[in-house]
Amino acid sequence: MMDQDLSQLVNKIEDAISSIIIKATTEIPNDLSDLINKSLKAEVSEIPKSQLKLILENFEYAAENKIPICQDTGVLNFFIELGSDFPLISDFKDIIKKVIQKTTETIPLRGNSVDPITNENPENNIGENYPPIYLKIKNNNDTLKITVLPKGGGAENISKLFMLNPSEGLEKLQDKVINVIKNAGGMPCPPIIIGIGIGGDASYCMKLAKEAILRPINKRHIRKDVACIEIELLEKINKLNIGTMGLGGKITCLDVHIEIAMRHPASYPVGLIIQCYAHRYASFEINKEGEVAYDT
Amino acid sequence: MIHNFTLPVTPNDLKLLNLKDIIFLNGLIITARDQAHKRIIALFKKNKLPQELKNLQGLAIYHCGPITKECKDEYVFISGGPTTSQRMDTLQNEVVDILGIKFIIGKGGMKNLNTKNSRVVYLNFTGGCGAIVKKKVTCIRSVLWRDLGLCEAIWFLEVKEFGPLIVTQLNGKSI
Repeated sequence: MMDQDLSQLVNKIEDAISSIIIKATTEIPNDLSDLINKSLKAEVSEIPKSQLKLILENFEYAAENKIPICQDTGVLNFFIELGSDFPLISDFKDIIKKVIQKTTETIPLRGNSVDPITNENPENNIGENYPPIYLKIKNNNDTLKITVLPKGGGAENISKLFMLNPSEGLEKLQDKVINVIKNAGGMPCPPIIIGIGIGGDASYCMKLAKEAILRPINKRHIRKDVACIEIELLEKINKLNIGTMGLGGKITCLDVHIEIAMRHPASYPVGLIIQCYAHRYASFEINKEGEVAYDT
Repeated sequence: MIHNFTLPVTPNDLKLLNLKDIIFLNGLIITARDQAHKRIIALFKKNKLPQELKNLQGLAIYHCGPITKECKDEYVFISGGPTTSQRMDTLQNEVVDILGIKFIIGKGGMKNLNTKNSRVVYLNFTGGCGAIVKKKVTCIRSVLWRDLGLCEAIWFLEVKEFGPLIVTQLNGKSI
């Protein structure tokens, strides 16, 4: 590929990243607003109804005015699936940082990158080891897919890692998760989406849990035994009466997604990641000809 | 029951309230997160509380780190829903005493907030609903402690019909 073609491709990638950041901070995917509408119909009490009505009104107002749905535009997590035959092989860190810096000013986004030692906030959403980028290589493929997931602090703070005893890991798993959700009450902005990673090791199960958040709502795990745990947990959590914003109500959780990996014989790691109801994400795919397709 | 209050409120106003009541607020509210709470306490102890924070009796603290934009020497409000109140839990009672605040607006509630004898009332605003607040903020009056960052600074906001805010902690009880 000629240098000129390559720089055109980079420009297209930059524009597309900018578009998905705008989309993921100002619009809610349709399946999510449908679910909130359904929750509104399911609730009978006045308080949860008032909350869900305001949530829907807020989605609409944000999209109309192209402003962030939530002031917490989160940690922008990037998931990259790079085809091994895509003409540009890179970790895309520099491109992403450049676009983030620009969109932080134009949308605008909240400056959410704080130095953990000095507490200084450069207000540009970039900095050391930031934002997190997850890179996956797809063999025999010539496309690049990038997904952005703005992850807010309230829900993220409820995250947990359990290193369970393998002799009772599977039995204890559900109680451990339910306990966390119960204690969290309204803090993670319910109705929530739950991502769980079982197996691997400490860091790997957390990564699986985060990826689980991105699975489409209402899509069950391919393995029946895993899908059963998802359904059981969803039912049990919706009996906790935490409700929207922890103010009581029938709907506390919109979905539970579990991903699994083989584990060490001595370990039973369980990663738990919570996502708020404002589950915003957007992605695009670009081929080597520079044709871009968006989806959420 | 639905109440429409203009700030500042008096202790008598608070006697009208019950848990689960819905409130709409008009007037001046100030945002403050953990860093601002810490600084209020530290400066008060040194007797160096800034003038801007000395006449806030009967007003409301809003747990919020808004998105704002600087346009021609003034700030425009973009989006600002509530943040998790629990982070301010260990600092809140002291700040309520220092400032004479009557409402705390946030999300998720607070374990250690002392609401006895109508000292202060906790109001829950819907988390994630940042955009809609733009409609309720009529102007940004000023900003204090910009050095804490846009998110942690104290924003003095003029609001109109800010709500629905749900009374969730009142007179030592919570829902």
